[in-house]
Amino acid sequence: MELIISNLNKTYANGVHALKDVNLTIPQGMFGLLGPNGAGKSSLMRTLATLQEADSGSATFGDIDILNDKKKVREILGYLPQEFGVYPKISAINMLNHIASLKGIANKGERKSLVESLLVKTNLWQFRNRSLGTYSGGMKQRFGIAQALIGDPNLIIVDEPTAGLDPAERVRFHNLLSEIGENTVVILSTHIVEDISNLCSNMAIICLGEVVAKGNPSELTKEVAGKIWKKPVDKNELAAYQKDFQVISTHLKAGQTIIHVISEEQPHASFEKSKANLEDVYFAEITSRMEAIVD
Amino acid sequence: MFRQIYLFELKYRLKRPATWAYFGILLVFGLIVAIGGNGPVSEKVFVNSPIGIATMLITISIFGVMLASAIMGVPIYRDIEHKTENYYFTYPISEKGYVLGRFLGSLTILFLISLGFHAGLIAGFAIGPYAGYVEPERFTDFHLSYYLQPTFILYWSNFFVSGSIFFALVALTKRIMLAYAGGAILFITYLVTLTLTQDIENKDLVSLFDPFGFGTYSNVIDYWTPEEQNTKTVPITGMLVWNRILWVGIGLLALLYTVFKFDFQRFLNRKYSTKKVKIQNETVNVSAVLERIPSVEKVYSKSLNLKILLDLAKMEVKNIVKDNFFIAILIAATLFLFFDGWYGFPLYGTPSLPTTYYMLEVKDFNFIVLMFVLIVFMTGEVMHRERGVNYDQIFGSLPIPNGVIYGSKFLALIFISFLLVNLVLVSGVFNQITKGYYDFKFGMYFTDLYLIEFPKYITFVMLAFFVHSVVTKKFIGHVVAIAIWTLLFAINSFMDVDNNLYLYAYAPGYTISDMNGFGHFGTALFWFRIYWLAFGGLLAYLGFLLWKRGTDTGRKSRLRLAKGRLNKATISTMIILAAICLGSGLYINYNTKTINNYQTEKAGTIASAEYEKQLGKYNRIDQPKVVDVKLEADLFPENRSATIKTVYKLVNKSIRPIDSLHLNWGSPGIFHKEVEAFKINGRTPVLGRKYEDFNYEIYALGTRMNPGDTLVMELTVTGSFKGFPNEGSGRQIVYNGTFMDNSFFPSFGYDTQEELTSDQDRKKYELPTKDYSLPSQNDGWGLKNLLFNDDADYVTFEGTVSTAPDQLAIMPGYLQKEWEENGRKYYSYKMEGDLDFFYNISSARYEIYKEVWTGKNGKKVNIEIFHHPEHTYNIDRFVKSVKHSLDYFSENFGPYQYRQIRIMEFPRYAGFAQSFPNTVPFSESFAWVGNFSDPEDLDYAYFVTSHEVAHQWWAHQVTPSATRGANQISESMAEYAALMVMKKEYGRDAMQRFLKEELDDYLRGRANESKFEKTLLDNDNQAYVWYQKGALILYALQDLIGEKTLNKGFERFVDSALYRQKAPFATSLEWYDYIKSVTPDSINYFLEDSFEKITLYSNKTSEAIYKTLENGKYEITINIESSKSYFDGNGKLLDSPQNPNLIEIGVFGEDKKNKAGMTIKSPIILEKKWIKPGKSSFTYVVDNLPFKAGIDPYNKMIDRIPDDNLVTIEESSD
Repeated sequence: MELIISNLNKTYANGVHALKDVNLTIPQGMFGLLGPNGAGKSSLMRTLATLQEADSGSATFGDIDILNDKKKVREILGYLPQEFGVYPKISAINMLNHIASLKGIANKGERKSLVESLLVKTNLWQFRNRSLGTYSGGMKQRFGIAQALIGDPNLIIVDEPTAGLDPAERVRFHNLLSEIGENTVVILSTHIVEDISNLCSNMAIICLGEVVAKGNPSELTKEVAGKIWKKPVDKNELAAYQKDFQVISTHLKAGQTIIHVISEEQPHASFEKSKANLEDVYFAEITSRMEAIVD
Repeated sequence: MFRQIYLFELKYRLKRPATWAYFGILLVFGLIVAIGGNGPVSEKVFVNSPIGIATMLITISIFGVMLASAIMGVPIYRDIEHKTENYYFTYPISEKGYVLGRFLGSLTILFLISLGFHAGLIAGFAIGPYAGYVEPERFTDFHLSYYLQPTFILYWSNFFVSGSIFFALVALTKRIMLAYAGGAILFITYLVTLTLTQDIENKDLVSLFDPFGFGTYSNVIDYWTPEEQNTKTVPITGMLVWNRILWVGIGLLALLYTVFKFDFQRFLNRKYSTKKVKIQNETVNVSAVLERIPSVEKVYSKSLNLKILLDLAKMEVKNIVKDNFFIAILIAATLFLFFDGWYGFPLYGTPSLPTTYYMLEVKDFNFIVLMFVLIVFMTGEVMHRERGVNYDQIFGSLPIPNGVIYGSKFLALIFISFLLVNLVLVSGVFNQITKGYYDFKFGMYFTDLYLIEFPKYITFVMLAFFVHSVVTKKFIGHVVAIAIWTLLFAINSFMDVDNNLYLYAYAPGYTISDMNGFGHFGTALFWFRIYWLAFGGLLAYLGFLLWKRGTDTGRKSRLRLAKGRLNKATISTMIILAAICLGSGLYINYNTKTINNYQTEKAGTIASAEYEKQLGKYNRIDQPKVVDVKLEADLFPENRSATIKTVYKLVNKSIRPIDSLHLNWGSPGIFHKEVEAFKINGRTPVLGRKYEDFNYEIYALGTRMNPGDTLVMELTVTGSFKGFPNEGSGRQIVYNGTFMDNSFFPSFGYDTQEELTSDQDRKKYELPTKDYSLPSQNDGWGLKNLLFNDDADYVTFEGTVSTAPDQLAIMPGYLQKEWEENGRKYYSYKMEGDLDFFYNISSARYEIYKEVWTGKNGKKVNIEIFHHPEHTYNIDRFVKSVKHSLDYFSENFGPYQYRQIRIMEFPRYAGFAQSFPNTVPFSESFAWVGNFSDPEDLDYAYFVTSHEVAHQWWAHQVTPSATRGANQISESMAEYAALMVMKKEYGRDAMQRFLKEELDDYLRGRANESKFEKTLLDNDNQAYVWYQKGALILYALQDLIGEKTLNKGFERFVDSALYRQKAPFATSLEWYDYIKSVTPDSINYFLEDSFEKITLYSNKTSEAIYKTLENGKYEITINIESSKSYFDGNGKLLDSPQNPNLIEIGVFGEDKKNKAGMTIKSPIILEKKWIKPGKSSFTYVVDNLPFKAGIDPYNKMIDRIPDDNLVTIEESSD
């Protein structure tokens, strides 16, 4: 099953054009959505998660018309929003059980074993009876993924799931996701480039509501391979470099400012070639567009 | 530091749109009130008088509790809400600076917002005279002081008090909800003190504890006349000062406590559950990777949806009932119910038995307001449950149909509503048990609560759902919903919109009666409930369509969503609801308007004006007078109709011939009359002209009726009630408890009583001012007509009445025969001698209690009490009063004219007692269910019965003429007579409290006068003059000249005026002459002061001290101040004469109990002294240690501050 999004548009009541003619085909497996804050990732995901209307365009998942047949979508959906809360006074096990019943799992026994296995899976077993209000950020996030996984969802949408997780939790989370990713469509949004390169076989970069790049992460990286140049510069010269070259990113390394520049040829003898990675792809797509807004 | 925080708060708040929105609302409200309203004052007071302005300001400050909680609750909470507390508190600021800065900043804003109302008023009062809604004369000039003083003393101090409390609550508990709860509690305290005001003995208590000072203020201005209200601001003295000290003190304390107690660290501590949790170390479970998630089966079916619906609803209910705010309001509401039930229904300060209908009626007092607010708030909670904890996105993407989610929330609220109506039952039964009253009527409880009240709550829920669906911000939702309700209330109460068809959730009023149960009200209630449920259902459905699921708040997307939710099922449901709503609406309109002639109040006023303009020309035309009445009445209580045939013998008593008969049926109403037969001297008369709008018919008599001629008029009329009206009990004929009088038939000629009386209305419709409704004492026409009916002088009466087989029917006179025929009961009555043209026709399932009174000269009178079988509680009191009254009146005024006297109960659709010849109907709610177990409470059953019996002399034996002042012969005399019976029974020393009660009613009455106060001699329709002033003056007079002496005069008056057959009938001047004839010259000043003028005393005891003498006796010195002033009818001071007045001085021991158990005074010295206005001093030597002393200790004089007459005696300091 594939998720096909075509010409999706959304303008909010306050005039923000959140989605501009978004076209994406998302195959089974993990799909990464990369983009700066406010790019439209969450808008897209909320639209797919039936929480928001689109102005025009269509989205289909197999034979389900996502925009119009919300009921069907919700039956196969697992959704973890970017920000979410919980009822503070209820325990995780009760809450998951409640959500499972709402997701149509009518059999009590099945529900019980499902909830228990999810609690084990998300490493919340020993905290299952604690009220959700006492959970730490990481625990809450894991609870969030547990609830999203209830009921064998075929479409899983997770919005910046690793924000606020410590490194160990992030790894665990990735493992969990990649395990599921095998037979479902998982859409993962993040602004951590590394997450995508580690996990996703397909991805798209969204900026200012538009899809600016899509494809396989390594192929996308290949496209800029050999075009990335770097140079340590003095802080005072930065502005001059930004004016003369297409600087896509600046890093601080051991007290030095290192700039990355994209260019078909070596821009200047003082530049040396840098090994291209997904981050360069990201910055290459984003920087110029964002500057256009600032200017 | 404080300064920066303060200024930041100001700047922040000034930029918030909410600040200006609140300001704007108050401004607009002020404008509306100022331009369009009559204000809270009577017609004779300027709309912008100091009292008018002060009253409006206080009222706003009470409702301003909402505003105060919105403004003062948030400044600290803002840091929690926006999660800024985590870093804000790390800044180098001090707790005190932070708290004070935020507090004073917000308070400044609150005060600023509150000035919006002033701005509106000031502008409105400037525009008002030109806007034309209120007469320009009703506006006076702008005076800044009228605004300043009440603003500081009451308006702002109230805002400060409530604001400080809310601020403290939120700052110390971090819970914004507590600010609302605090508001509710303040409001409840206010309402409780309001309930207490029903007893004047609680005056000081109310004055002290009313948190808004409204009661305090009212107690100060209660007796102010229009003149004073127009010129004086409220003096800052006495209880007002203490009240303000108390409440502003509480506010200050709350603030200071917060300032000193507030602590950043404690504020940041978060606490979710009180249960201690074991903190476990997070260990990575390696097996997690290996765990396989089992596959599950998902079912989506109707039955599952139903199960989810119920589960979710159950969860919501659980959530609601655990909500602390809900619990708090619920407890408050229940306390309220209980409290209202406990104190709720006193008459003359005496409680009533806690009958089931009383316990039910308390739900319409304060409870209903709390319930609506609670429903709105809980709906808000339920609708925002997921959004509130940020769980809405997860929840919204779950595969639950919209209908199930919305429905579950709705169902939860319905269940809560059911719970709420049951509170009335619980509180009611508990109240009854506590009071030892075990006559529970569960059927009545269930019918009222489940069938009538519960559906109304459902309509409230529907409105709340609609508002909270359309408005996605919770607080604004609350405000909008409550605003809608307030608006409904306002247009209903102040703008005379009273068609229940247009007022959401309204329905015709109904009264539950022990005699008649729910009576005939069911049909109307059924249709109105259906109508509003369908309408509310539509609203709730519309809400459903617009209800927000997901994250989109844009109008466009929500409309698109709504369109998406429209399908066959939703559309057809809505069509069905709309059809029900429309159908029932049309049916209701047909019933109220087409059948029952509904008209707006304004239309009614216009009709009255037209009546006068078109028919006024027939005023005083000569019409024949009835001299004999024969009735054949067939009552059909089961279908609320009656067919009555009357045969009137008419005589032309005028000096001119009469050729036409004017039948005045009264404007079409809800009591439908159909003429079955109409004959004059055996021939059907010819209708000459008919004024359809007023049901005024003019028939040609055929043969002209010369003076002294007689004719016989036969008229058979069927009167019935059809369908149901918009309002009105239609009490004349009911299933059990029919009670009608001669107004069943048309009266003859034009009736001035139907004219407009209000100066303002008359001016508006271009009619001349009508100062008096009756002509002067020497007016020829007035002198030849009797006051209560000008269609006859005295008549003779007999008749037969038939009714349902299980009922007993009553008419005037002695029962001649009773029999059964055609399955109906017949009674035939005949009166002996003359009676007023005033008869009753009654029928109910009565039981009769009988006793006989034997007079001194051996005369026997049958006393018969016709009562509802259950109402046996106070029969002995009626009987005792009748006997005592007959004793006193026959001895002092002359013999009783009949051989029987009947007291008869009728359903509580009206609350009066009335005196017909030998029959006294008493409303069911009046005395029958009074609780007189405490001897300290006024036994009004005794008092009012005596008053009504007195009317057998003063109205029926001596019938006043139709001239101004004449009604004092009836009402003042009856009230005086009843006081004298009380005095004889309880003793002189028990009378002070009754006199004080009369005094309070009189002073209140004159303060609310809408024309001008009239004197005892020319008062035509001011009840406070004829009852209270009349009684006080006559009581004082008998005290001054002697009871026997005064009564001698009255006896002579009776002798002369007894059943006077010919004009001139009795006038107030004649009455006054008899009074003068027995009054010594020295007391003439009192007669002039009291009967011809409006006179008020100001008597006061400044101190009373005693000294123990060497011989063991006590020397008492009493220092008093006295003054007397004359006022005009508007309350303007005319003169303060300096001649001495005869006033009582008394020295008292400790109060005692009399034989009835009543506290009475125990005078050691009581003597009348000629006292000159100004200060005087009196010295006495007494044997026993006295307790109190003072001037006019029994409140016999009219004195606006009766409480300072008597003071406790203190020991001399030297």
